[in-house]
Amino acid sequence: MSDVLQVGDRVPHREFGPLRRTDFVRYAGASNDFNPVHHDDAFAQAAGQPSVFGHGMLSAGLVASALTAWVGPDRVVRYRVRFVDRVWPGNVLHPEGTVVAVDESAGTAEVELELLRADGTLVVRADATVKNRTEGHR
Amino acid sequence: MIVADSLVGLQGEPFRFPVDESKVREFARAVRDDHVTPDAMVVPPTFPAFAASAYETLDILEVAGFDLKRVLHGEQEYHYTRPLRVGDRLVGRSTVVSDTVREGRRGGQMRLVVLETELRDEPTEELVVTCRATVIELPGVST
Repeated sequence: MSDVLQVGDRVPHREFGPLRRTDFVRYAGASNDFNPVHHDDAFAQAAGQPSVFGHGMLSAGLVASALTAWVGPDRVVRYRVRFVDRVWPGNVLHPEGTVVAVDESAGTAEVELELLRADGTLVVRADATVKNRTEGHR
Repeated sequence: MIVADSLVGLQGEPFRFPVDESKVREFARAVRDDHVTPDAMVVPPTFPAFAASAYETLDILEVAGFDLKRVLHGEQEYHYTRPLRVGDRLVGRSTVVSDTVREGRRGGQMRLVVLETELRDEPTEELVVTCRATVIELPGVST
């Protein structure tokens, strides 16, 4: 966990996955989202997909977990995610991101993040405003 | 460009949203949040997604008349005035704040609807979280 964020600081590396159907089912139950496209392969294929795929908000949650592990819990003021591509069974995901701005008077930092597959392709983009300790504060 | 039968201003009925420990633990496990431990619990920042599915009264997909085969969740944003806590008893209310049409990249028109949900602390009415969901209906097949 970082103490005082500075422009250019990077989110620590971590991996999520390989994600399995069980992970999609676990998120379905946890979020009450039982859209069959996320847990029923026959349904997903009838809808034109190769298989079930993960909830976009599951990806959003994973990036948020990477964010709070990095900047600390209780510090998220704003969190936004933009959905780019789907997560398939077997995908291994990792976040990349940096602090892009620090507002000392507001005591906040702006962070931009991406969630990527192992091959570098993009799943979601996220950006956040987090509370930032200042240099004299403990 | 505003759609002719814009939904802007449409508001759902208030709904209750209790933030209870078992559900927070279950959700944290599902999104790999390490801060939910036996000793301390910070609610994951995307936890309001559970309320959107379980307690929300305004069914935006239905009221917008979307073709479900070409509907996407485009974007989701949360603004917090304070972190959520286990034990919070919240009241939510959603309003359509934007309903627009724009040209798709490959022609045709796509519709973007933004639903804003305010989650307030039930006893104090303090605004805790503002959620903004952007739902997109992609262009249909041209006729």
